[in-house]
Amino acid sequence: MEIEQRREGDILVAKILNDRLDARGADDFRKAMSGFVSDGNRRIILDISAVDFVDSSGLGALVSALKLMGGDGDILICGAPDPVMRMFKLTRMNKVFRIFEEQQDAVRALSVE
Amino acid sequence: MTKNAKTSKTAVTDFQKSILYHVKYSSGKSRDQASMRDYYKAVALAVRERLVDVMLATKARYEGEDAKRLYYLSMEFLMGRALGNNLYNLGIFDLAKDALSDMGIDMEEIRNSEVDAALGNGGLGRLAACFLDSLATLGLPGYGYGINYEFGIFRQEIDNGHQKERPDHWYSEENPWLMERLEEACIVPVYGRIEHLPDRSGNDNPMWLGWNILIGVPHDVPIVGFGGKTVNYLRLFSARSSDEFDMRIFNEGDYFKAVQQKISSETVSKVLYPCDSVEPGKELRLVQEYFLVACAVRDIMRRYLGDHETLDAFADKVAIQLNDTHPALTVAELVRTFIDEHDLDWEEAWQITEATLGYTNHTLLPEALETWPVPLLEHVLPRHLQIIYEINHRFLKKVSARWPNDGDRVRRMSIIEEGDTKQVRMAHLSIVGSHSVNGVAALHSELVKTSLVPDFYQLWPEKFNNKTNGVTQRRWLLKSNPLLSELITETIGDGWIIDSGKLRQLEAYADDDAFQKRFLDIKKANKEKLAEVILDTTRVQVDPETLFDVQIKRIHEYKRQLLGVLHIIYQYLHLVNDHVELTVPKTYVFAGKAAPGYFLAKLIINLICSVGDVINKDRRVNRQMKVAFMPDYRVSLAERIVPAADLSQQISTAGMEASGTGNMKLAMNGALTIGTLDGANVEILEEVGEENIYIFGLKVEDIRHMRNGGGYDPWAYYNENPNIKRVMDAIGSGMFSPQNPGLFHPICDSILRHGDYYFHLADFQPYLETQEKASREYRDRSLWARKAILNVARTGKFSSDRTILEYAREIWNLQPVP
Repeated sequence: MEIEQRREGDILVAKILNDRLDARGADDFRKAMSGFVSDGNRRIILDISAVDFVDSSGLGALVSALKLMGGDGDILICGAPDPVMRMFKLTRMNKVFRIFEEQQDAVRALSVE
Repeated sequence: MTKNAKTSKTAVTDFQKSILYHVKYSSGKSRDQASMRDYYKAVALAVRERLVDVMLATKARYEGEDAKRLYYLSMEFLMGRALGNNLYNLGIFDLAKDALSDMGIDMEEIRNSEVDAALGNGGLGRLAACFLDSLATLGLPGYGYGINYEFGIFRQEIDNGHQKERPDHWYSEENPWLMERLEEACIVPVYGRIEHLPDRSGNDNPMWLGWNILIGVPHDVPIVGFGGKTVNYLRLFSARSSDEFDMRIFNEGDYFKAVQQKISSETVSKVLYPCDSVEPGKELRLVQEYFLVACAVRDIMRRYLGDHETLDAFADKVAIQLNDTHPALTVAELVRTFIDEHDLDWEEAWQITEATLGYTNHTLLPEALETWPVPLLEHVLPRHLQIIYEINHRFLKKVSARWPNDGDRVRRMSIIEEGDTKQVRMAHLSIVGSHSVNGVAALHSELVKTSLVPDFYQLWPEKFNNKTNGVTQRRWLLKSNPLLSELITETIGDGWIIDSGKLRQLEAYADDDAFQKRFLDIKKANKEKLAEVILDTTRVQVDPETLFDVQIKRIHEYKRQLLGVLHIIYQYLHLVNDHVELTVPKTYVFAGKAAPGYFLAKLIINLICSVGDVINKDRRVNRQMKVAFMPDYRVSLAERIVPAADLSQQISTAGMEASGTGNMKLAMNGALTIGTLDGANVEILEEVGEENIYIFGLKVEDIRHMRNGGGYDPWAYYNENPNIKRVMDAIGSGMFSPQNPGLFHPICDSILRHGDYYFHLADFQPYLETQEKASREYRDRSLWARKAILNVARTGKFSSDRTILEYAREIWNLQPVP
């Protein structure tokens, strides 16, 4: 699992570079996300614009990361292509995560809070 | 002859070129190497080219008008063979025949190379197939949605009188009519768990996680309407595995388990369950039902949202009909899709769901009403179960408001049946979630209201209606009985092909000597053809001069093939013991499959064959009677039997057959019905007139009375009626199973010791007398011909065109787009 990271103030912007977030990479992804949280990141934007397939393992890893924060912090999603967005809706995860089309929209949303 | 397109030389040459092209480039063979099956495929592909042209034009027409579409969801489509039907409907039958004949190929041989698409058990699946033909003929935008089973209903072999089931591989992968639509494949999640995490407003938000994925790949079968102007399609989904399914295990290093998982997910569309053999709680069947529903809903949403921005017009543009409760999960899937994936609130989602769905009930047998254990549903579809509970909660609030303090009624009506293991009642879910609930014959629809679900009828009388079944006269008369079709067309023109009401004009010829003669000659010619098939398949030689008495349908106790056999045994004993000749020599023809796990039904087949063995070998009687059990009943075999039948046996226990459609096909081909007042027999009686049908036996109310303490005692019939005693004793003595005298004791026991649930003995004497009356009348050839002609003339009502027009007007609000 390749994840590109950059910072915007206290916001961590993590972009998944792989095209699949599925069982193959779910464990790596889960570890990476838990690393971000244990490093003290509480405002994370996950850019999944390069991901064109996500399965229940990938989505489960995302839920785990949010739970790790224990209500102290937020994970925003951006750039979800249509098929991926459909899976968010299917699981109703779109009602838990804030989802933006563009990365800068997500950054802006967090910056003003 | 039917007016086919003129077989001009150029058209014939073009068709031949197309056939040769496909022999070479689709089968990869030279003309010399090509087998008959290669030629069949080449002809089918040549026909398909024409179908595709019209299919694309039809699609453009529907899109241009933003037409409302009907989606007919059915776990079964009993299509039979397609080639002949497509040629007739395209109007190129003669052209194709000429083209092939020119190439030295016999059209009949080509047509016989086609394997039946047997993706159904019986009436319900064949009804769906007839409906598709009518929808296309009427220019209505309607599609069938089903499963592309790799194995259809089993192939039946009769081995020493016993049914053996063999797999039916209907060439689903290389079938020339199927067009794979990989680009429209959809993802279907299944299994998993619900996890609760608050949404952004802090409210509880159940999330469906941990699912596995199936991929649904559509395959389209073009359905051409008569006249070739409209081509709709039947969309059949195959289950494929996704990478995700196996990769997780693959990564763990277990290659074989990964492959097994792949096979397991593809199992979902592997095989059609024979009815009566779906064990309660059979998980794969539940997954199959959901797979169909999920694929259909995704496909319907994709098409609708391709043309519309919002869901506001959904119910104005989409109608979905549930063929029985098998696709009942559509109720929950639509609500889930609207709420979870499109953010509608409950009320909006519910209103659209109800306005979109219609439900057709097909059975009055309480034990045949589908239920699923709650724990299984929770395991397979956790989110759907939540939604079903919510639907039930809201529904029961309405029931309680209407009937306060009526706990019994609430329990009766609940979608969830209480008990050691709670069950989801799929019929209740279908009724609650649909704006229309229909039965399939007038009597059946009344019984649905008064006996099956009276509480629901009291709550929503406006939902309930009747749509008497029908059959397409294109397959069941035009194609299967070409000689009679020719005579009809020559006499009254060809308007009857698309307007079955025109058959009434034949009434004027019912007493015409010349017409009667031709009619009887045609029947005899059809019987001669059937006699050849009987000889080929059973080695029984039958005489076409005898009365052909036909009972062809699924083998089930309620359909009472056994009553037919009791009568045959009675006649046989009458002949050999009393030396009384039959009024008319008879050939008894049976065909039908028994569910593999249905012991008594299989034993009844065995009894028919054993009785046949004894009679057919007994030189004292076999000029008077023969019995043939034709193996592997299927659409193409029915097309041979129906035109040759003189007498049509429709003798189910009153109140148990929802409609029947075999009764319609046979009457339409000039067979006289001998039957009980059950299902659509009641309406056949109304149409043809009581002098042209043989009705006998207990009525629904008699049965009800006798069941409810009326004191039905089969022993009394046995002791008081010497005919019955003689027949039952013969079976019990081992007369028809000398090697194993006790073989048929379970049949005797079911009648005498276990109360004769289907009232064979109560109906025996009236049946015998009515049979005798039919035999007497058969001897008067002119009288019989008159009755048979009037049956053809007066069964126009039973065209599926009439049924579909009623559905379109009264349930679907569907307009033709010609």
